[in-house]
Amino acid sequence: MKVKTPVLTEVVRRLKVGDRVEISGPIYTGRDAALPKLCRAIEEGELPKLGLQLEGAVIFHTAVSPAGIGPTTSNKVEIEGSIPVLSRAGVRVHLGKGALRAETVKVLQETGAVFMVTPPVTALFINNIRSRRVAAFPEDGMEALHELVVEDLPAIVAIARGESIF
Amino acid sequence: MLTDEEIRNAARDALIQASTTFRPDQLKAYQMALERETSPQGRWVLEQILKNAAVAREKRYPLCDDTGIPHVVLEIGEQVCMSGKAFQAVAEGIREGLRDLPGRPMAVRGEGLERLGQTLGMYDDPGMLEAAPFGLYWTFGDVLKITVLMLGGGPEIRGKTMRVFHRHRGENVIEEVGRWAAEAAAALGCTPCVPIIGIGRTQYEAAALQLAAALEGDFTRQSPWEAKITEMVNNTGVGPLGLGKSVTALGSFVKIGPARASGVRIVSLRLGCCFDPRRATVVLKDGGD
Repeated sequence: MKVKTPVLTEVVRRLKVGDRVEISGPIYTGRDAALPKLCRAIEEGELPKLGLQLEGAVIFHTAVSPAGIGPTTSNKVEIEGSIPVLSRAGVRVHLGKGALRAETVKVLQETGAVFMVTPPVTALFINNIRSRRVAAFPEDGMEALHELVVEDLPAIVAIARGESIF
Repeated sequence: MLTDEEIRNAARDALIQASTTFRPDQLKAYQMALERETSPQGRWVLEQILKNAAVAREKRYPLCDDTGIPHVVLEIGEQVCMSGKAFQAVAEGIREGLRDLPGRPMAVRGEGLERLGQTLGMYDDPGMLEAAPFGLYWTFGDVLKITVLMLGGGPEIRGKTMRVFHRHRGENVIEEVGRWAAEAAAALGCTPCVPIIGIGRTQYEAAALQLAAALEGDFTRQSPWEAKITEMVNNTGVGPLGLGKSVTALGSFVKIGPARASGVRIVSLRLGCCFDPRRATVVLKDGGD
């Protein structure tokens, strides 16, 4: 199934565990360093200053380095801990790898968001990236929040509608 | 006599090949895994990994964005002559390889606590990443074999080095490390995995044997104890990328070293990820002049 960003609510509602998708359009990246900062900005009402569009957004849990991109484990405290705040702020797809806790499965269901996973296929991802730029927190270097424009980035739905594949 | 330039180029080429290319035994292991895997999601993951390997090989892209810490093993033929600068030449080759790849720039700035806490950030230059202390072995003839292994970070989090009480039954040691691997497989994320294990007399020796297991390991040649560990991990049903079901481990590599007269064996486990071992060898022949 092709998914375009920003992801519409009715598209997310149709997704179920095990669906294979290809994501196209602008997506954000973030991991241990940037995501807690983004959550703090949301909680302190500073999001407008960052100029990010979180409604319908996809956040890929990865660094962006000269070596490319690839999912990091999403159940690290700082990454999984960001999912509730970001989902309430409009993020519809969290993309990474690894199982998430039951409480996170529940929050995703309540907020109408999903968790997708993708293998660490860095060489394939290079062909999916059309452009990249640092969108926020440049001080974090390769872990800064980047905006990537991607085409047909492959992923699989791992958690949706209160169900988990793990 | 081997020149420093030959040695530097060989180390660089081994690093690039290890980072970008699946070996024939690895490809075969994946093809067999595709035949065995019963979950459609699991099969999809295996297919993506094989496609990734094809693109990485053709375009010389890194297989994974965690390009890993370089580990070098030198096997030095008894008739080989080289200068005392050979080790510096290897280090220079590693630096060149990391810049050419390019490797992920992950060498940490600062000294002492600043380096430990990563409070000064990282160097932008991938070449600042130092290789781990070299492994050295002697071999017959007039060849120098330079092997580079690239060790990613996830498997380090899931590994451990610890004593195991053998209770006068070798199977007890194998079953204990099999349990370690099975327990850690779900948390690894990047499955199918490969448990890589060294068993020796000291913490140092066990870790060095673990690297030797990665150096020699071949997915198409599995001992009964390697097959046993693989079976224990596959019984978890974790499957590729944790999506289930049949193939959680592609195989296991075990190197059993010397034993001490004692009730314990020291066992070192690296729970290798779906790209492990990223390994390549370049062989140089010393012409003698």
